[in-house]
Amino acid sequence: MTAAAEASGNRGRVSLRGIVKRHGAFTALHGVDLDIEPGEFFALLGPSGSGKTTTLRILAGLEPRSEGRVLLDGEDVTFREPGARDVAMVFQSYALYPHMSVFDNIAFPLRMIATPADAVERAVRDAAAKVRIDHLLARRPGQLSGGQQQRCALARAIVRKPRLFLLDEPLSNLDAKLRLETRVELRKLQRSLGVTTVYVTHDQEEAMTIADRVAVFMEGRIVQVGRPQEIFARPVSAIVAAFIGSPPMNLLPAEVRSGGLHVAGVDLPMSRPLGADGPVTLGVRPAALRIAPTGVPARVYLIEDLGDTTIVDLDVRGQVIKLRTDHRPQVREGEQVHVAFAADALHLFERDSGLRRSVSEV
Amino acid sequence: MRIDLSMPWLGGFAGVDNYAKMGGDPRFWHSLWLTLIYTASTVVLQVVLGLSLALLVLRIPRGQAAMRIAAILPIVLAPVVVGLFWRTLVLSPDVGLVDVVTRALGLGSHNWLGDPQLALISVIAIHTWQWTPFAFLVILASLSALSPEVFEAARIDRASAWQRFRYITLPLIRPAIVIVVIMRTMIALSAFAAIFAATGGGPGTSTEILNLYAYRTSFSELNLGYGAALAVVLLAITLAVSFVMFRVRRRAAVA
Amino acid sequence: MTARRLRTLVLIGLAALLLAVWAFPVLWALLTSFKTERDVLAYPPTVIFEPTLRNYRDVLFGSASILPNLVSSTIVAGASTLLTLVFAIPAAYALARLDLPAKRASGFYVLATQMLPPVGLIIPYYLVLQKIGGLDTYGGLIAIYLTFSLPFAIWLMVSYFEDIPREMEEAALLDRAGRLRALWYVILPQVRGGIAVTTIFVFLNAWNEFLFAVVLGGNRVRPVTVAMFNFISVEQTLWAKLAAGAMLAMAPVIVLGLLAQRHIVKGLTVGAVKGGGRT
Repeated sequence: MTAAAEASGNRGRVSLRGIVKRHGAFTALHGVDLDIEPGEFFALLGPSGSGKTTTLRILAGLEPRSEGRVLLDGEDVTFREPGARDVAMVFQSYALYPHMSVFDNIAFPLRMIATPADAVERAVRDAAAKVRIDHLLARRPGQLSGGQQQRCALARAIVRKPRLFLLDEPLSNLDAKLRLETRVELRKLQRSLGVTTVYVTHDQEEAMTIADRVAVFMEGRIVQVGRPQEIFARPVSAIVAAFIGSPPMNLLPAEVRSGGLHVAGVDLPMSRPLGADGPVTLGVRPAALRIAPTGVPARVYLIEDLGDTTIVDLDVRGQVIKLRTDHRPQVREGEQVHVAFAADALHLFERDSGLRRSVSEV
Repeated sequence: MRIDLSMPWLGGFAGVDNYAKMGGDPRFWHSLWLTLIYTASTVVLQVVLGLSLALLVLRIPRGQAAMRIAAILPIVLAPVVVGLFWRTLVLSPDVGLVDVVTRALGLGSHNWLGDPQLALISVIAIHTWQWTPFAFLVILASLSALSPEVFEAARIDRASAWQRFRYITLPLIRPAIVIVVIMRTMIALSAFAAIFAATGGGPGTSTEILNLYAYRTSFSELNLGYGAALAVVLLAITLAVSFVMFRVRRRAAVA
Repeated sequence: MTARRLRTLVLIGLAALLLAVWAFPVLWALLTSFKTERDVLAYPPTVIFEPTLRNYRDVLFGSASILPNLVSSTIVAGASTLLTLVFAIPAAYALARLDLPAKRASGFYVLATQMLPPVGLIIPYYLVLQKIGGLDTYGGLIAIYLTFSLPFAIWLMVSYFEDIPREMEEAALLDRAGRLRALWYVILPQVRGGIAVTTIFVFLNAWNEFLFAVVLGGNRVRPVTVAMFNFISVEQTLWAKLAAGAMLAMAPVIVLGLLAQRHIVKGLTVGAVKGGGRT
């Protein structure tokens, strides 16, 4: 049993089996399978409309599924009412009850199951202290700032000590700086409570930094599941590769020819076997590129000086790729240069399917 | 169906006889004409007066509270009581408010509700008096909601007050005006109590809008069948008008 | 005097004039109700006179007292308002939350029932009530009042319910509240304003209703609106008494109007906007 699982009391194991969701003729989810370990901080990542929020809501019981099963700690809860699943949720809009004080908001779930007043009092103060809003208990949600409202919603969720937390893009309504700070706090909170958490976001940086594992959603399907480092290092398809990373991975059309790589009109001999000849998509991360005397020809299009990092936009045959470096590159806009990359920094994807082509390690 | 309570033995299904009879009934056509005039003039007056009042009051922020109270009073009164008020205290020859004023101004005394020529005008005045505040309140709300920045931009673009009104204000409050027109038209078509209390449809038939004609036919002359037919025609007209208006509204909204 | 100030004065003058036009009739009636009949007929009309409460006394305790009519109105308006709220609120909630294909059509339909001229409806109503012996009964009249109050109340309340995001109920459900408790503890407190507006308008319409009352009522069920109408023929030119009677008859709605000014204005404008927006 992992440490996290032990902290959570081994509760909150999630299993989704073959979840399909249809709206009339439109299929939102095409058979989603997922396993989440107790105590995990698990992110559902994907662009808008990819099905991640739908999956979350089906897990919560707020939406019925068309096919498939939902299991919590081994029990089949597919048809169980949301209130009976012992699950807490923080909505994107927080959904705080505007006519009640912060105290009453947090107390609500406990009062609904007839918890005695002194226990309610203790639990509410406890939860409020954990998210540091214990000084705001008499106020109404309308009198709180965005960040405070979010913490109030969190307190309402943790006060019941549920077996599962569901968070639906909880940070998207906060400004950039607050988002970064709150991210860290959320993670620490989750670790201290040890509750299994499922977190929906479209911000890949967010998911990569705070989650234990990530499931990448695309168009109603899960295309990759794994630890953030794995997804970063070995994206399973060109689409996933293009979604992860800031700036995202550069993708160029290329061809494998007689064991070498032909891209943008030049041949780059490779020391590793690249697999069969044929059209591919070449993927290289911006941080892995560098300006070199030989390599792929490119013209400097724009230099973005971000202070301690510089991003150079390069035009390769009409397509713009990005290079990222911590050193100030000695180039000017409009200049013709060459870019090169290390052999182990390349990713190859089949041109037609977009799937990763496995290349044996050097 | 033909139910003539004064001659109940003639009961039976009369088919479309009633409607055919209507076509050749001059009183019906007269009534229809009156309905048209009544509806059109009250609605137009309400919009024009309401708009003018709203524009006026907009400039005087401190007067708005008083105007609001003055506007609420006519609206909450029962139309039948309003009709009675006007009939007795306002429009009576000699002692009514209006007559006092006209006599003081040297315009003589008139029998506002008893004179066939003046009755329709009087009745239109009553309805307009009661319901203009509704138009006023709705248009005022719409005007108050306009952001001042649009007008500032127009001022910078050297638009005169009239131009600002015509090209910016009016189009922006058009949705509110359209709503007012639709709702007031519907109410005008079904207005009953005030006219009934003020004139009963008279003198003669000079204020007998379709509503009242149907009522009189049914309950005074006890010709329920024909009365019902008249009511159905009014119903059909109302539905048709409302349908057309909602269509126009939707198209205007899309535009 | 600057041109600007002159203009403002003119505007104020105009506004005052129009204010007078709208407020005056009611104030004049109020004044008249305290006059003796002789003072009423005096010309030029007197503003300073010796006030008397005689008219009010006659109207309340005299032979043609309107006290039973006030009671009648209270019963009819009060009961229909109460019943309307009891049925309309859950119905509107259901309509707002369930995704029924008929929803869009029902919006227009409801509006249409409000716009239908009552004259068209009283004849069938009369005949039906006559058949079942419901004429001149409270039950009969209240039931008929419900036919126009309910759609109106439902239509108003639906838009208020729709303004509350669904996530409110979802949060409450997850907090183990259950549908009914979610409605009671979370949703209803948030539509309090809407309920107030709806109550006011339903009551106003019921209290002021004339046509249905006069045709479908009778000797036992006679609201003040009918009583006032009969006044004119019975009391001939006893206008001071008429004024007093009218003031009493309209007292509840005038008081309601003055107290709930803001709600009424909000209701009118919101109703107008939403009514337009829905079809």
